[in-house]
Amino acid sequence: MDIDTVKERAGPREFSPADDMPLEYREAATRMIEFHANSEIMGAYLERPFIRQAPSIDRKLAFSAKVQDEIGHGQLLYRAAESLGVKTREEMLDDLANGKGKFLNCFHYPMDSWVETPMIAFFVDGAAMRRQATLRRTSWEPYAHAMDKVCFEEGFHVKHGESILAELMTGSKKEQEMTQEAFETWWPRIIQFFGPTNDKSTHHDFSAAVGLKAQSNDDLRSMFLREYIPKAERYGLEIPDEPRIRETDSGYEVVEDDLDWDEFFQIAKNDYEPGLGQIDGRKQAQDAVQWVRDSLEWENRPAGSPKPQAAD
Amino acid sequence: MIWEVFRQEEQGGYHTHCGNVHAPDREMARQFAAIQHGRRKATNSLWVVPKEEVAEIDADETSFGGTTDKSYRWGPTYKSDVDHAAEVIESDKEQEAAERQRSKAQGDD
Repeated sequence: MDIDTVKERAGPREFSPADDMPLEYREAATRMIEFHANSEIMGAYLERPFIRQAPSIDRKLAFSAKVQDEIGHGQLLYRAAESLGVKTREEMLDDLANGKGKFLNCFHYPMDSWVETPMIAFFVDGAAMRRQATLRRTSWEPYAHAMDKVCFEEGFHVKHGESILAELMTGSKKEQEMTQEAFETWWPRIIQFFGPTNDKSTHHDFSAAVGLKAQSNDDLRSMFLREYIPKAERYGLEIPDEPRIRETDSGYEVVEDDLDWDEFFQIAKNDYEPGLGQIDGRKQAQDAVQWVRDSLEWENRPAGSPKPQAAD
Repeated sequence: MIWEVFRQEEQGGYHTHCGNVHAPDREMARQFAAIQHGRRKATNSLWVVPKEEVAEIDADETSFGGTTDKSYRWGPTYKSDVDHAAEVIESDKEQEAAERQRSKAQGDD
């Protein structure tokens, strides 16, 4: 299939591994899905310490289930990316451990305190879900299928995060202040979740033309803000003065100059110092369970082991 | 020989198990599947799989989960008096539907 045919046919769940897709499509889709998969994994690692730090058994159970879900999402997405035939799962995991794999800006920042958990589990996951809901209509079918499962589970993460936020914002004065402080720190990063504005986004046009991406960064950000600003306010959070948010007829828009895009692009290149700690931590975890992968490979070795036979 | 049949109703949808056919080889199995499972309901594609190629684990071999209360991992457990984003509501609905289906399946046993 040539690229013009792809653009012509592009629609929800239009292409599958049975189709002969041009390299340009396969590479763009791989880049997008691999980024998404890496982000699921890095998000899980960022939140993992909070399973133990959770203040009650219910929170521990829920946080543990959430982290488990996120790792599962990563695995689903690596499968969807692998189905494009550009990179293997091993290559993607190795790139992530070596600092070559790219992932979401929010997961580069270290997280120290329990009051920060709803910033990820409510706001970042809420933003992610907004985006994921639109990706159920992406043109690469295995990716859309992964999004069905992801969206099914993700609602729990958002609502659990919201329940933590509600608890903190009705808690002690100190808890409320600390939560507000965390919110002010995280707010600009959360707004940057959707990436640079349309005019600065390098990959958008092609991805949109071949149906990989359903909506632009600006649209997604505006829709997210329209839902989540009123929610933040109802829980008693005060929206920081900067970045300035303007309410328009169609939703919200952000004064982009108020955001630190240098830091954003530094992070995008995996050059951000605290973020390197996240990557190293992930690498150590991957190295630590190398023996599990080795033993699985031994089980699956081709020579000497009976290979499954087709029944006919 | 038995072949299991999975039907996909629409392009891009899931193949879900819909029954099986008896046939001596793959070609006949494909034809029988098309006749028996692709005529009445809307069908975009069928997967036809030799039964013995389907890997099975049953309750005798392993203890499956699903018996402990895992309500903490479902969205509808977390109530709040605030409106939710459309996609969060949809996820809740999907989870509630899945829960109804689970209880129904248990009730049928």
